[in-house]
Amino acid sequence: MEQMAHNLSRRNALKLLGTAGGGLALASWAHGSRVVAQGPDGAKALESFTGPGANPHWNSVGPYVTEPQKAPLILLTDRAVQLETPRHYFRTAFTPNEAFYVRWHLGEIPNAVDLAEWRLRVEGNVNKPAAFSLSELMQKFKPVSVAAVNQCSGNSRSRLQPRVPGGQWGNGAMGNAMWTGVRLRELLDAASVKSGSILVQFEGLDTGAGPKGLGSNRFLKSLDLTNAVLDETIVAYLMNGEPLPMLNGFPARLVVPGYFATYWTKSTSWIRVLEAPDDNFWTKTAYRIPDTPRGTTTPEDVKAGKVKTIPIARMPVRSFLISPDRSSKIPAGMGVTLRGMAFSGYGKVVKVEVSDDGGNTWKAAELGEDHGAYSFRSWQAAWTPKTPGKYSVAVRATDEKGNVQPDEGVWNPGGYLWNKIERQELVAGKAN
Amino acid sequence: MKKPWKIALMPIGVVLALAGGLVFAQMRSGSYGSMNAVGIGQGAAPELAPDAKYDVGPYPSFTPELAEGDGKLEVQSFCFTCHSTRYITMQPPLPGATWEAEVNKMMKVYGAPIPEATAKKITTYLQGHYAPENRKE
Repeated sequence: MEQMAHNLSRRNALKLLGTAGGGLALASWAHGSRVVAQGPDGAKALESFTGPGANPHWNSVGPYVTEPQKAPLILLTDRAVQLETPRHYFRTAFTPNEAFYVRWHLGEIPNAVDLAEWRLRVEGNVNKPAAFSLSELMQKFKPVSVAAVNQCSGNSRSRLQPRVPGGQWGNGAMGNAMWTGVRLRELLDAASVKSGSILVQFEGLDTGAGPKGLGSNRFLKSLDLTNAVLDETIVAYLMNGEPLPMLNGFPARLVVPGYFATYWTKSTSWIRVLEAPDDNFWTKTAYRIPDTPRGTTTPEDVKAGKVKTIPIARMPVRSFLISPDRSSKIPAGMGVTLRGMAFSGYGKVVKVEVSDDGGNTWKAAELGEDHGAYSFRSWQAAWTPKTPGKYSVAVRATDEKGNVQPDEGVWNPGGYLWNKIERQELVAGKAN
Repeated sequence: MKKPWKIALMPIGVVLALAGGLVFAQMRSGSYGSMNAVGIGQGAAPELAPDAKYDVGPYPSFTPELAEGDGKLEVQSFCFTCHSTRYITMQPPLPGATWEAEVNKMMKVYGAPIPEATAKKITTYLQGHYAPENRKE
């Protein structure tokens, strides 16, 4: 660590680059020139950063990069790895594994796992501490499946005004998969939780270079043993019917349906039952939201110390237009299909409405197949731009609890819980 | 004396020329960029053995060019210990007070062992190159 900290000259940095994959693209970067994906009209490169205004783009503005087991995704950071899913991958209700976004907190993440050694341990305040190999997880327990959206707490953080520090995600820090694995409650029962236990804590294989006892060294998350979400929580070893990519938490990760991804511990290897409150940084201090409607507040109230906070939990209702995406014009009079998806952490999406006048008038969209309350629900709507011009297409969803997507943003210091109605300009050209 | 077949062909030539013009008006073709763009190279399929080791190899580094200036070396040395400097370039332009708070958080919350004078230099560098009033790249 000391060695790493010192004398990292440009030459060393280049040497590092040289040993990494994707050599050609990297080499041109290191020398400052950027290779740009061109649009149909020879479109210019995106700006290299956005702000201090809101990010006006659907995704964040980083370059495409390739990482192991992944299609080209949008780079936020390379250590720890944070990659965003490009918009077009949301045309289907299930997000392909190779396109699924990536978000790690700490720098030292697994490159390799030896399943002869790896065990999922259930320990702490239990009568029978247990350690399961992957084959035991697959064979000793009945596999269960759930379609569930995994969304980063800070998804769309780049929309906030004023901007807040943190991962500057566009809308692509989310994905939906069919997760298959073992019920958490069965694992806890196998270890026999002692009475007087209050929390269950999760830890994966990631560690950081920071000092022991601090958040920069270990990433730990806990949930109350009485929380009903644990009844639906599984430790998944299959993602869309395939092994998890290493960057998404191979060999097994926690799936907490309806909850933000901060609780979905990757490469889960320790399940720890606690009899005392968990005062580690990631549970006690981080990932907290103002205890206000929609978790919104102001910089002034934060500064004045007026804001009481609670841990983040369920995901508010959201919906998105995925295509058309304004990468090209639509001939006026042509009947096209608007496509997208919606979800809510509070229950099934029951209604999606679209507007082509910026939200003044709304029309119901047709909902796609129902994959369960916690899945993406795809939607589509026929749309004909009657005359040439610019249209503001908006989309809003309603869930079974009656939550309707609002037309106001939120602001909180963590940059969490964004779910404002999205708008997309579409351009119709003359057809003769 | 004009040859009759030439006279007969003249209108055909005019029609062809007009048609050519029309074709040209309704579309454009054959335009390619002059720059030799470089794509991202594909990776070859990995060697896989049927043992219990699941290895994806190293994750690539994408180290950004930081703005030139006093404090750059300190940023590269100290910040790089826990995370890549892309954490800096990925941020929006942040006000000076926010950068100061970020550096303090790294030290007080995450335990970054940065000497006081160096921390001041790092903060000044970030404020001087990555704030709304001065950020360029």
